[in-house]
Amino acid sequence: MSDTAAPLTQDRQKLEMAALSAPAVFFTVAMIAFPVVYTIWLGFQTFSSTGKQSFAGLANYSKLISDYEFWHGLWITIALFVLSLVLQLVFGVWLALVLFNAKRLPGILRSLFISPFMMPPVVAGMMWLVILDPSLGAANYILQSLGLPPSDWLASPTWVIPTVALIDSWQWTPYVALIVLGGLQSLPPSVYEAAQIDGASPLKTFQRITLPLLLPTIVTAAILRSVDLLRFFDIIYITTQGGPGNASNTLNIYGFRVGFEFFNIGYASALMLTLTAIVFGAVLAFNRLRGAVAW
Amino acid sequence: MKVKMLATRVALPVFAIAAVSAQAHAADFDWMKFKGKTVTFLANNNPVSQALLTYKADFEKLTGMTLKVDGYQEQQMRQRLVTVMNANSDEVDVYMTLPSREGEQFAAAGWYADLTAMAKNDVAKDYDSAGLSQALLKAATFGGKLTSMPMNLEGPIFYYRTDIFKKCGLDAPKTIKDVEAAAEKIKTCDSSVTPFVSRGLKPAVAYTFSNMLHNIGGTYIANGKSNLCSAKGKEALDTYSRLLRDFGPPGVVNYSFQQISALYRSGRAAMAFESSNELRTVMDGGARLKDTGLLPFPAGEAGQVPTTIGWGMAVSSHSKQPDAAWYFVQWATSPEVQKKMALQGIAPPRPSVANDPEYRKWIDEEPVRKEWQAALDVLATKGSSEVGYPIVANPQSREFIGQAVQDLILKQKPIDQACADADKALDALIALN
Repeated sequence: MSDTAAPLTQDRQKLEMAALSAPAVFFTVAMIAFPVVYTIWLGFQTFSSTGKQSFAGLANYSKLISDYEFWHGLWITIALFVLSLVLQLVFGVWLALVLFNAKRLPGILRSLFISPFMMPPVVAGMMWLVILDPSLGAANYILQSLGLPPSDWLASPTWVIPTVALIDSWQWTPYVALIVLGGLQSLPPSVYEAAQIDGASPLKTFQRITLPLLLPTIVTAAILRSVDLLRFFDIIYITTQGGPGNASNTLNIYGFRVGFEFFNIGYASALMLTLTAIVFGAVLAFNRLRGAVAW
Repeated sequence: MKVKMLATRVALPVFAIAAVSAQAHAADFDWMKFKGKTVTFLANNNPVSQALLTYKADFEKLTGMTLKVDGYQEQQMRQRLVTVMNANSDEVDVYMTLPSREGEQFAAAGWYADLTAMAKNDVAKDYDSAGLSQALLKAATFGGKLTSMPMNLEGPIFYYRTDIFKKCGLDAPKTIKDVEAAAEKIKTCDSSVTPFVSRGLKPAVAYTFSNMLHNIGGTYIANGKSNLCSAKGKEALDTYSRLLRDFGPPGVVNYSFQQISALYRSGRAAMAFESSNELRTVMDGGARLKDTGLLPFPAGEAGQVPTTIGWGMAVSSHSKQPDAAWYFVQWATSPEVQKKMALQGIAPPRPSVANDPEYRKWIDEEPVRKEWQAALDVLATKGSSEVGYPIVANPQSREFIGQAVQDLILKQKPIDQACADADKALDALIALN
């Protein structure tokens, strides 16, 4: 084999590899790009109640600015996002610490602790809908048995968002706990040994060592949950459909109704693209935060 | 779109009915004509389709076709239908539709195949098109095209507990005022039960509220404008929301048929205003069989104007095999199948089935079934199919009706503001029509 033959073979190999992987790459890009491009295109269209379609330019986006339901939906989305995320991070870290320290906890109990997030959200929604029914549900029965006043739960405009946040946190806190548990297991033991020698209390150890070292893991968990929380749909759809009134009408629920119940696919696309931009913004912000807390 | 059903049946000038009645019984009609084909049916997973699909194997045996069922809950079914139809896809051949809700919209969008010719020319000898409720056929006719064949007849009716009424010294209510008085009395007489329950979930309210509005004498539209702030409109809004707020269960704003039936069946409600279709669910287990009375919703100032609608079976305009699809529609709406469905508690859209000896025997087995049939007879003769605004954007109009009712139940707005806000939004929808 001559000296010049080797580079040619390498080029040929590269070409062959590119040619062989091209269909898979093309398919993957098309599968991701087509729905996005199609939705962008739909966002510039308007659909009448009868499905008749026409080009609308930026009309759907200018409509957003004056649409009370959009701003209300955005507010509900953010409120639900903040409340749920805080609950899930706080209790997720706590549950991870419990699981980390309870090393002799039987496997079945560990599995039980983390099982809620394996349940399909529709099943979780239906289950909590029954439990929280103000007339027939177990939640009010328990409250009243304890001498406490019953609650309207999902039927109260005041309490519906905290209640939905609780349901979501019940389901997804174990997921956060699992991520944080992985982070805990990877922390260097030498730091703890040094703290022990210095006589640091468990609380100080947690505040000064565990939490700072865990922050990158917690931010990662926050990013993963943020994407889901901003797109919150399934549990609300099952339990309240955006009600009572429009008290739980998140942007996602609103967009769904505009698209599939009122058949205005163009405006629904504009709503969903706006929501997508918000999700991207949140992910970018959390990514920068992760960079800041990395060690 | 008021339909005086039996009263006007003879006089209906709709061409579709004439066409249907003038069917040609093809001597060579062959159920096996499309043997080997597969028909896809997009079904709403409700008691009507459940009863029908009990006999799926019979259809496949009769025709040699395969029936592929794509079943969802009502809202999910519409979501799927919208996706399929917007994509001009032929993957659905037959779908269930509520002409009173989406008829105008789907017809304007061109999503219904025109069944007029098929119902005239391609029918089995015993199909008896003329025996179908002519009013329901009329309600399914848009722009001269017959868009669906009726599967059932239904409407909200008044369920009440005879034992509680007796204990509290009450007679069966004859008027809306009697219902209010009974609720008031039951609240003190038997505090363990919810006096009255009906639909409070926003998109579901229009189904029952329309009956209240019409009984009181109100209309949705007057002089081309939304009319909820008229005296009658406000009276209906006030009465309906007050009954639910003061005498309904906690959380009633999330109540639709599932919750209402569960509450009533469990013995925890004295009066329920809910669909006639729920009879089977409510009577499931037999606990309510002997202590329930049934009536059309009691009269208001305009008498009794019950809401009467029916599910229909439509052939998709994008179906590549509309003729085979029609065979399924025809089988499903035939006298034989509708009689079998009637014996499962699905009110037949055929007077001939309602008078069938076997069906009458089933009805006569239980007093509650007799009352159910008597209520359905009133629905058939006096019914109005107007549920929400008679406009293309009917589904959206129901949202605003529901919002006004919820605003009042939750005391979020005074009545003048609730109706004015609804009227403003609804006027915008009417203007788009």
